[in-house]
Amino acid sequence: MFTFATDYYILVAVAAAGALQFAASLGGLRGLLFLKPPVPARLLGGVLIVGAFAWFFAVEDRNINDYEGGLDAPTQALFFFLGASTALVFTLLASSLVNLGMRAGESDPREGLDALRSSSYASALRRSIGRRLRKW
Amino acid sequence: MVSADERLFLWLNGLAGRFSPVDTFITWVVSDYLIPVGMALGLVAFWFAGRDADTRRRRQLGVFAALTSMALSNWAVYVINWYNFRPRPFVELPDQVTLLFYPPTDSSFPANAIAAASAIAIAVWWVDRRIGAAFLAAAALYAFARVFAGVHYPLDVLAGFAIAAAVTAVVFTLFRLLRPIPDLVLKLARALHLA
Repeated sequence: MFTFATDYYILVAVAAAGALQFAASLGGLRGLLFLKPPVPARLLGGVLIVGAFAWFFAVEDRNINDYEGGLDAPTQALFFFLGASTALVFTLLASSLVNLGMRAGESDPREGLDALRSSSYASALRRSIGRRLRKW
Repeated sequence: MVSADERLFLWLNGLAGRFSPVDTFITWVVSDYLIPVGMALGLVAFWFAGRDADTRRRRQLGVFAALTSMALSNWAVYVINWYNFRPRPFVELPDQVTLLFYPPTDSSFPANAIAAASAIAIAVWWVDRRIGAAFLAAAALYAFARVFAGVHYPLDVLAGFAIAAAVTAVVFTLFRLLRPIPDLVLKLARALHLA
């Protein structure tokens, strides 16, 4: 059960990281990308997604009942949440490091995900925290 | 109707076990981990991929609606199963079924997995017709695979889809009442540059 759950967690974490790269490229969120040009970014996303599923299904038979070592629905949901959260945190940290020099000016009014069009995540967060503290 | 359902099932399931590559493909598609995980990842991408703030906001509200519809569809199936239990085809017709999946022990009618997948697909279709069509195609393929693999009768998957459609319609109709909750979550996520 533990091995199956671990494999499932790895599948979700890697594939979700790929989905995030693919979606960030489609949405023009350059601050979240590891590779800036759209084609390599989407290719990286696709490779991570397809690779994760190919590995998951190649390692062993996955059509197993939950009482014989498979995962029941609540466990699946829990591990999906954990895997997707890991992928998100990894993407935010790694893209902030890769895009260290990507900083918009203090006057850039963009908020939410739109701020990541011209800033790395760390830089956008620092700027918005600074703004809120000044308003206080 | 039940007899027609059985005949259609036997015809579709009769195609299993004849051509190994098709069987292999179906064992992937019917899995609990390919289409369900693929759809969940699709929702993650749907959340982030909008070109402008309005599109993204509409899609993000769609993600909330999809998750709510999925949960309520599962609950509706659970309630129906209190009153109705239909044995799986491989239990009722043991000598005539080629099973390409593990033998589940819960009720065959309505198909729970199809209700959940369809609820997500219909909710996405509700907010974005083009992307929703891809989700619906995935749900339809999943439903076909469940019958082909001997896990469900056709009527089970149709009922799963019908439940999902009804529940999703109710969720979108009542969504205005629930809006303060997703609005609050989106506001918080927006402050953290996640929406």
